Amino acid sequence: MAENQKQNYLTHPKGIMSWLLTLDHKRIGLMYLFGGIIFFFLGGVLALGMRLELAAPGNDFMSNETYNNVYTLHGAIMIFLFIIPAIPGALGNMLLPLMLGAKDVAFPRLNLASFYIYTLGALFVVYTIIAGGVDTGWTFYTPYSTTSTSNVIPMTMGIFIIGFSSILTGLNFIATIHKMRIPGLTWYKLPLFVWALYGTSLVQITATPVIAITMVLLILERLLGIGIFDPALGGDPVLYQHFFWFYSHPAVYIMILPAFGIISEIIPVHSRKKIWGYKFIAFSTLSIAFIGFLVWGHHMFTSGQSVFSQIVFSFITYFVGIPTGVKIFSWILTMYKGQVSFTPPMLYALSFLFLFTIGGLTGIFLGAVALDIHLHDTYFVVAHFHYVMQGGTIIAFLGGLHHWWPKTMGAMYNQTVASICCLGVFLGFNGTFFPQFLLGLRGMPRRYATYDPQYAELHNYSSFWSGILGLSIFIAIMNLLWSLRKSNKLDPGTNPWGAMTLEWTHTSSPPHPHNFEEEPVLEHGPYDYDKVIVEPTFKK
Amino acid sequence: MSEHHITPLKTYLVIAGALFCLTAITVWVSYFDFGSLNIIIAMGVATFKATLVALFFMHLLWDDKKNLTMFIMSLMFLGIFITITLLDTGFRGGVNPEVEYPINKRAAFYDSLPLTDTHGNPVDEHGTDSHEGDEDHH
Repeated sequence: MAENQKQNYLTHPKGIMSWLLTLDHKRIGLMYLFGGIIFFFLGGVLALGMRLELAAPGNDFMSNETYNNVYTLHGAIMIFLFIIPAIPGALGNMLLPLMLGAKDVAFPRLNLASFYIYTLGALFVVYTIIAGGVDTGWTFYTPYSTTSTSNVIPMTMGIFIIGFSSILTGLNFIATIHKMRIPGLTWYKLPLFVWALYGTSLVQITATPVIAITMVLLILERLLGIGIFDPALGGDPVLYQHFFWFYSHPAVYIMILPAFGIISEIIPVHSRKKIWGYKFIAFSTLSIAFIGFLVWGHHMFTSGQSVFSQIVFSFITYFVGIPTGVKIFSWILTMYKGQVSFTPPMLYALSFLFLFTIGGLTGIFLGAVALDIHLHDTYFVVAHFHYVMQGGTIIAFLGGLHHWWPKTMGAMYNQTVASICCLGVFLGFNGTFFPQFLLGLRGMPRRYATYDPQYAELHNYSSFWSGILGLSIFIAIMNLLWSLRKSNKLDPGTNPWGAMTLEWTHTSSPPHPHNFEEEPVLEHGPYDYDKVIVEPTFKK
Repeated sequence: MSEHHITPLKTYLVIAGALFCLTAITVWVSYFDFGSLNIIIAMGVATFKATLVALFFMHLLWDDKKNLTMFIMSLMFLGIFITITLLDTGFRGGVNPEVEYPINKRAAFYDSLPLTDTHGNPVDEHGTDSHEGDEDHH
């Protein structure tokens, strides 16, 4: 037994090939994490480069052309190479089979194939960077993208390829959730992270093919001159935006739904209280996934689409607020009268609640046609989607990383450093992006390297705090890696937070190569803090 | 698990025959001009053929109905995409008639076609039509 306990997926089997050709979902998850963090770092460096340029009004540091390349690459890398794959690819792969009591995902070989398809797509993006970048913005709007001389084709090809990785992961997760649950683990006993992954996977397989088609049409138009989007060839440029946002708006939910799932796990565990409104949270996930398909035109209020569709899109957009509000209130009520402990994952979850709510509420501003026409393409929009994407998804991702790190790596990080970093991220984030709401309201347009001196003070402030934000995230990740050093390794035990889901209660930390030494038997629901007492195995 | 269905060869051949007949119909109807019904007829025949393939060759008729549900869901999303996009292209002139017909009517591609005004009506070459943009076109 003691020998068996030492065996874990990190050390067994050994050798580089055992990693590169692994079919183990946990190792594939770690490889995604590794890839994701590299691109997160790259995207972050580009962001800090932009903030450096914007610290003062003139072209102090980069030319307009360079700036165009930098913001395009920042957006494309962060979205397609980090945020979309990070949570499902890394945390989802790592945790889904563990949460279901399964040995692996339904199709382990397909899972490895997804990772390599992601890598291949990433290589195209890296090639684009080396070949001189691309300057269209991450949305590749026509007609500029069909005439720009920058590397549009390799970049869009990369996104086309990464899309397949996303589709295959979604397919794999759906099959796994349907078929690989242990007996007794019915739909309403699933952890909410699993529901979130299910909703995400549905969106991935239904929306992603459309971005693939869009990219192919764009490439065909550039290469063969077929008139689809370019008016000079008889096409309709607004049609491109319909195609693009039919994927990219649901993609916002591919990014945020798994984050909701993470928060639904962290809050009950660290409040030691049963989740409030389990079914409401579960079904709000599915309804967000569905409503997300009906609102894409709110990105196009100034594109020249018909006034009738503007009204329809604006009206439907408000429906998204309902299921999202349901979730926020459920999380708050979960904490009410709970034993809230301010551990690093919980601090991230609390930051999420605050930041995502600001992101969501400013989305309501932008969903109103009349207001959007004033705010479109200003820093208000930049601030809004950063509050959602970074304040929402990336904060939740960092929270999830801190929550499951002891489980996946078998080491506990320095919690004081982690908490200080979380505070740094929170302050740095607000310091960076809140002034951008004000800049946008005052008319500062996005995507310019220079600006009128009247905006200098707010830009300066934003740039200063972006440094704090970058540094805090960097130290937070270093703190996690530092915990792996043999000399200061703290053993978290199997269940450091006293959680109730199977990955905590029935596996060692790090888990056994086959996940469970014997098939787990379900003894209680995922959040039954009112019925069962589970003691944390780690005391600070 | 449900029992695996084995389709007799005869069924496949009948369906294949039907598909060939429908292809012939597609070609045959292309010789007649039904006006705005042209596209509806062509798409109708194609949709019927695709349905036959999905039901018989892809076994959706006998499979677990969950698979059929998934398949129909994908069609539903396609429907959403096309319908809502038509809310844009079909109503562009609602407030400003100038944008009713998209800019592509002025594209180089249309140079070989007879000149029309923004409502698609033919315009005399030397122009009694007073629409501004058409002058640029000459």
